[in-house]
Amino acid sequence: MNATFALAGATFGEAIRKRILLVILLAALVILLISPAFEPFAGRGQRTLVISFGFGIIQLAGTFIAIIMCTGLIPTEIERRTIYTILSKPVQRYQFVLGKLLGAIATLGFVYLTMGLMFLLITRWTLGEFDPKIVQGLIMFFFQSSLLAAVTLFFSTFVSPLVNYFLSGGVFLMGNLMSTFLDTIQRNPEVTPLTRIPVQILTVLLPNFANFNIQNPIINPEQVLTDEVAYLVQTIAYAVIYMVLLLVASILIFNQREM
Amino acid sequence: MSDYAIKTVNLTKRYSGLWSKTPVEAVKKLNLEVHRGEIFGFLGPNGAGKTTTIKVLLGIIYPTEGEAYVLGKPAGDPSNHYNLSYLPENPYFYDYMTGEEILTFYARLFGIPEPDRTKRVRELLDRVGLSRAANQPIRTYSKGMQQRIGLAQCLLNDPQLLILDEPTAGLDPIAHIDIRDMILDLRAQGKTLFISSHQLSDVERVCDRVAILNRGEMVKLGKLEELLSGGHVELIAEKVNEGVLEPIRNLGGRASLHDGRLIVEQPDDGTIDRVIDLVRSSGGHVISVKPYRRTLEDLFVETIQGGNRQ
Repeated sequence: MNATFALAGATFGEAIRKRILLVILLAALVILLISPAFEPFAGRGQRTLVISFGFGIIQLAGTFIAIIMCTGLIPTEIERRTIYTILSKPVQRYQFVLGKLLGAIATLGFVYLTMGLMFLLITRWTLGEFDPKIVQGLIMFFFQSSLLAAVTLFFSTFVSPLVNYFLSGGVFLMGNLMSTFLDTIQRNPEVTPLTRIPVQILTVLLPNFANFNIQNPIINPEQVLTDEVAYLVQTIAYAVIYMVLLLVASILIFNQREM
Repeated sequence: MSDYAIKTVNLTKRYSGLWSKTPVEAVKKLNLEVHRGEIFGFLGPNGAGKTTTIKVLLGIIYPTEGEAYVLGKPAGDPSNHYNLSYLPENPYFYDYMTGEEILTFYARLFGIPEPDRTKRVRELLDRVGLSRAANQPIRTYSKGMQQRIGLAQCLLNDPQLLILDEPTAGLDPIAHIDIRDMILDLRAQGKTLFISSHQLSDVERVCDRVAILNRGEMVKLGKLEELLSGGHVELIAEKVNEGVLEPIRNLGGRASLHDGRLIVEQPDDGTIDRVIDLVRSSGGHVISVKPYRRTLEDLFVETIQGGNRQ
């Protein structure tokens, strides 16, 4: 495990020095900071504005950072040949992939912690309260981004970074929309099985990113999640299981890969 | 324990593209035996298959056919990697790390525990002359310093076998000599070194045996001194009578006279004494007699150009 953690540490150290990631993080922090200034343009009150705008910015920044960071995790190591000095040490390929994923998750943890602290300060300052549900929302978005990181890392074991941007972005978009799309289709009696079945299969196969968005009950306290704890635990467990499956698939592909 | 640090048997590596019908054979039926404790030069022009062979030996790619063994175990066996090290050509390291941090990182990959890890890292920084730059980020290192840190990461595990790809390429003369001396020092410690290089003068100075690869096939293999010995002796004499040329040629040598100076290339079969006698008896004066030795560059060019003409 020492080698895996060493690799995770190196991945984290390198990621937090990437200019593009720092620019995204900095931009998100600045937008969060000035978000209360948009109040005059909001039609639904300050709470809605601050919370939905803040979560929106955090989710967007987390998504971009997860994709940009993970598309290059493996191809860059191959291109600049650092992987040769690593794999010629007593490091197994699964340790390399696992180390990369753990490093990416640690980076996302750092990013969410930074943005989350800023967000909590802003909500405390503008709304005059500290709502612990915001922390729940942040944790859920952190898991959403971590799952997206695992998806991107999986693709990075066999496609180029450019293709990976589109693939991972597409999977994220579809993963956010598929359950709503399936609901709509199932409610419509005119939809034939020929259309419904592929949508059902895709909904099962693609990670459901929409489940991680729990903004509505936070913005509108009158909306209550039934059995909130169970929902959060199940969704986090879903993310972890999906990440483990993606990790196994990534390792299987990477084991066969020639560099 | 196997006598060979590296052994390949009919090692073949073929790359087949997704769309191309004919696969490219990067290495063809390579049979190679590298003895423990020797410095082995692995030579060839670009695209000869050297790096492909090294990647197979490290388990980074897999052979299409044949077998490869490293330190008596199949190539790529992770347990082997405790006893070998690799320095790639133009190594790149995580350049935000300092020299000490990068060595600590690699030491962790070897599983070297503290406090041995810190001790070993400091010893090696000292050994490669980078103690003063230990806390400098690698991106500020010169090419020579990066090569030294590369060599230091190779020595962390005190390996039995070092595979070095172009260890002296692009270095200034002083750094060049430093690295070369370190290589000789490693041989003195009983390490096996497998060096792929285009720096033929370096290979000639340090290697015991060499193999030359061309288009994926081994075209020359042997002890350096045997490969470079030309098999004849060169004699230079002056004040020689022209009449002596014919008897010398009859002894099997090639003799020519230029401005009264005789140059003889005589097979190294003991007849040189008779040539000297002939020269002296004709009133000539022998200036020098020396065994002819090709340079490795001569051998390399002859071998590669000869192979390419076929």
